[in-house]
Amino acid sequence: MTITSHGEELILDKERALYLPQHQLLAISDLHLGKSAHFRSAGVQVPSTIAQNDLQRLGLLIERYKPKTLLINGDMFHHGLNTDIDEFAAWKKQFRELTFLLVKGNHDRLANADYASMQIEIHEPSFCLGPFCFIHDAPKCTEEELYPISGHIHPGVTVVGKAKQRLKFPCFFFGKEYAVLPAFSTFTGLYNIYPKINEQIFAVTPNKVVEV
Amino acid sequence: MDQTKTKGYKKIKQWLKANGRKPFKFQEDAWQNYLNGYSGLVNAPTGFGKTFSLFLAIAIEALNASELSNKKAKDRLQLIWITPLRSLAKDIARAMRETLTELELDWHVGVRNGDTSQAEKVQQKKSMPEILLITPESLHLLLAQKGSSTLFKNLKCIVADEWHELLGSKRGVLVELAISRIKGLQKLEKNQFLRVWGISATIGNIEEALDVLEPDETAKRIIIKADLEKKIIIKSILPDDIETLPWAGHLGLKLAYKLLPIIEKSKTTLIFINTRGQSEMWYQHLLNIEPELAGRIAIHHGSIDFELRNWIEDALHTGQLKAVIATSSLDLGVDFKPVDTVVQVGSPKGVARFLQRAGRSGHSPHEVSKIYFLPTHALELVEAAAIKEAAKTNNIESREPFIMVFDTLVQYLVTLAIGDGFDDKIVYEEIKNTHAFKLILPEEWSWVMQFITSGGDSLGAYNEFKKVIKDEDGLWKVKSRQLAMRHRLHIGTIVSDAMLKVKFLSGGYIGMVEEYFVTRLKAGDNFRLAGRVLEFVHVKDMTVIVRVSKQKNAISPSWNGGRLPLSSNLGSVLRKKYNEALDKTHNDEELDSVYPLFLLQEKRSHVPRNDELLIELINNKEGFHLFAYPFEGRLVHEVLAALVAYRLSKLLPISFSIAMNDYGFELLSETEIPMDESIAYEVFSPKNLTEDITLSINSTEMARRKFRDIACISGLVFQGYPGKYVANKHLQSSAGLFFNVFSDYDKHNLLLRQAYDEVFYQQLEEPRLAAALERIQNSEVIITHPQSFTPLSFPIKVDSLRENMSSEELEQRIARMKAESEKFK
Repeated sequence: MTITSHGEELILDKERALYLPQHQLLAISDLHLGKSAHFRSAGVQVPSTIAQNDLQRLGLLIERYKPKTLLINGDMFHHGLNTDIDEFAAWKKQFRELTFLLVKGNHDRLANADYASMQIEIHEPSFCLGPFCFIHDAPKCTEEELYPISGHIHPGVTVVGKAKQRLKFPCFFFGKEYAVLPAFSTFTGLYNIYPKINEQIFAVTPNKVVEV
Repeated sequence: MDQTKTKGYKKIKQWLKANGRKPFKFQEDAWQNYLNGYSGLVNAPTGFGKTFSLFLAIAIEALNASELSNKKAKDRLQLIWITPLRSLAKDIARAMRETLTELELDWHVGVRNGDTSQAEKVQQKKSMPEILLITPESLHLLLAQKGSSTLFKNLKCIVADEWHELLGSKRGVLVELAISRIKGLQKLEKNQFLRVWGISATIGNIEEALDVLEPDETAKRIIIKADLEKKIIIKSILPDDIETLPWAGHLGLKLAYKLLPIIEKSKTTLIFINTRGQSEMWYQHLLNIEPELAGRIAIHHGSIDFELRNWIEDALHTGQLKAVIATSSLDLGVDFKPVDTVVQVGSPKGVARFLQRAGRSGHSPHEVSKIYFLPTHALELVEAAAIKEAAKTNNIESREPFIMVFDTLVQYLVTLAIGDGFDDKIVYEEIKNTHAFKLILPEEWSWVMQFITSGGDSLGAYNEFKKVIKDEDGLWKVKSRQLAMRHRLHIGTIVSDAMLKVKFLSGGYIGMVEEYFVTRLKAGDNFRLAGRVLEFVHVKDMTVIVRVSKQKNAISPSWNGGRLPLSSNLGSVLRKKYNEALDKTHNDEELDSVYPLFLLQEKRSHVPRNDELLIELINNKEGFHLFAYPFEGRLVHEVLAALVAYRLSKLLPISFSIAMNDYGFELLSETEIPMDESIAYEVFSPKNLTEDITLSINSTEMARRKFRDIACISGLVFQGYPGKYVANKHLQSSAGLFFNVFSDYDKHNLLLRQAYDEVFYQQLEEPRLAAALERIQNSEVIITHPQSFTPLSFPIKVDSLRENMSSEELEQRIARMKAESEKFK
């Protein structure tokens, strides 16, 4: 689904990603790589294939949009270094032309040298581009002129219909003050948000993105 | 060996005689069989000394032995007495201690459960008592201790008290597993004298109850039934005018004033309320309508602090209290002598539970138990009539034992790994000999082992999973102290939301509330707990700090207890009562009282007979409602509703929201529901049953809900523990999330399969569903179109727990829902 915000065209992808054609930039948020390995090392049996699957989805997105830049809007890695991150480093090698940008989030606590060794460009607290300011947690944005695009909360929306019907989806949120991207990782929960007037919510369903 | 010639027996007889008592025949039978090396089950009505039928057997054996407890401190343990409730242990320990003193038998009785102090537990570890009273959970905690495998060398007997209560739950499986381990440890020591006994109230499957407890068919096993009858008087509290009773489930407070004279003329009354939240409201209401009761009534439930509960139980013994409002926390065998009257508020949903509660009054042999039934809504009067009949004909439910519960097995193996470790070949043989896991396949066992050792993953390359590892001595162990601590905190199979302790600002604990409830409170808000109105101050260190409030009324916390489903036995009697009510072919005053409601049902729609299936179609601004009334109980209706919804949704794209109660179910849709007689026979057909049920379960949330408990029991989700919550943000997740990722990435996960199996086998009992559908095929389908809700449909409509089922395209559905909601804006 394509929308226009602050004079720019934005593509909302059902794989929980945002593409800015004018800048050839693909943005995702809350990748939480290493979360499954972190759980596993603590004795919780999370399937180890989750991280691989998330990376595979990301690879397909890169192939489809052929961006120059991949922006990760915070919470790229869940905790410390672990095997999931080794896998990421190996996977990344196939995209030598692509610039990886990370806007740091609350979970991103690796040493700067670790990011450097994986050729990930660090931006803290935000990365500004045209009318937008990419930042992990919107309320922390100090760029008053720009429109913050954030992540962090893993937004979800419940659609309520007649005859007591309810459906819940991850979603994109575009409000008056700021926007929120859905969490990219499938191993994340949802935080329910409730739209007010003049706010737009786009639900991510298995087949496409629809405005609700 | 004839026991009458033994010195132990003589001493016991003497002692009884000195107290003016004489053993019942079933007690002597139990003693004799125990001495002869039998395991078994004692089945007797409450109040006839079931405890003594086994406890004295062990005492006789001890008195017969020439030398006593001349053993090393560690080898003392002779008898493990498993009780389902903490309150039971205290009472039984008291009775045992008194007896031992009078018999001059120098034995110690220890109690070990969630209420036992840390100091006492340490003391027990140094020197085990001869008799240990323990809950199934604490027994597993004991197995999780280093050095525990040497404690059972001289153990003579394990008794599972109130076994019927444990049997039908995963706690029963905990007992089975613990027994299998203790037997295995004794076998390693070449000891073979362990006997396993159960004490059970009457249930429909008493033989099976013994099979579960002692599955070894070659062992000497016996069921000892007491040939005694307990007299029970059952009386309903009827409204003067049926109009005063609401149509749907409520508190029943409208009839509370009728309780006052009953309380007044009884010595002590126990008032059973089905939920903790409602018991708080009842307590408040009784004080409001009769201030004279202040200080003479008390409230008792599982979320009230231990000290307070203790005080109430003591006051019950000494007869200081006129009435106690209780939940299932006082259900079982506690013997409160002054209690002569019991009141049941709301439907008990099962005959066995009702009789059990009735047995709390007139506890002594040959006394009469007296129970009053107080309905909370009009149709419950029909249930009352049904219960009376079922009680009269002794039509008592079975308790179905759990099998193949992998969540409990996973937990158990980690428990052993935290303790002294285990040999997988030996433990495999042990669990294969339990009732719960006798059907386990070698590949399922391998899966479980792989799950706890390599995280269910065979891809070795990137595996950093660490939990259970093989030690140098070849045993499987947990080495991480942090993991061990976390596991210990969640041993058990009772899953509740995270609980927080409630404490006064000035000190002193009052009880516990769910975390969810606290998150909705603001400072200065008032709520009710343990019968007091409390003002919320703040939450500190996972404790809710409160002060006494001056307010008289406040909200009650709701504790998420499970809803009790109607048993199948009661369902069929209930159908019969509906037949009789309108024809007036009965002697039930309850049915007379509710008669005007039946007339209204008949006028608006129809009263279904035994050989009819009533379907009501109601159209209003909420949407199109379809109500059907098979009278099979909530659990079966949940599956049946999903099945019918699924079959209807194959006819055309349609979305349903589903609700159900014990009488029937509702399908609610935004579009008209296709229904006529031929469609009805089609969707209620037993054809393709298994396949259609599987598909309908897959498209609803039933398995997902079952998975909530499974994820906690197997240790995937850590819920914390009252007052001991260790926040670990990086490891937070939910059962729902695990359900999703297993469904997406690990379809063959046995815990996932268990969730579906639990719906399929425990909830739905396919034979029962097939029988219900056969019955419906031979029934006449009556379809009515009432203008408004009927007495039968209204209680279902107001039920809040709902399922969804849809055959529409998701995007279309959203578009339509959006269009609808815009119309209302």
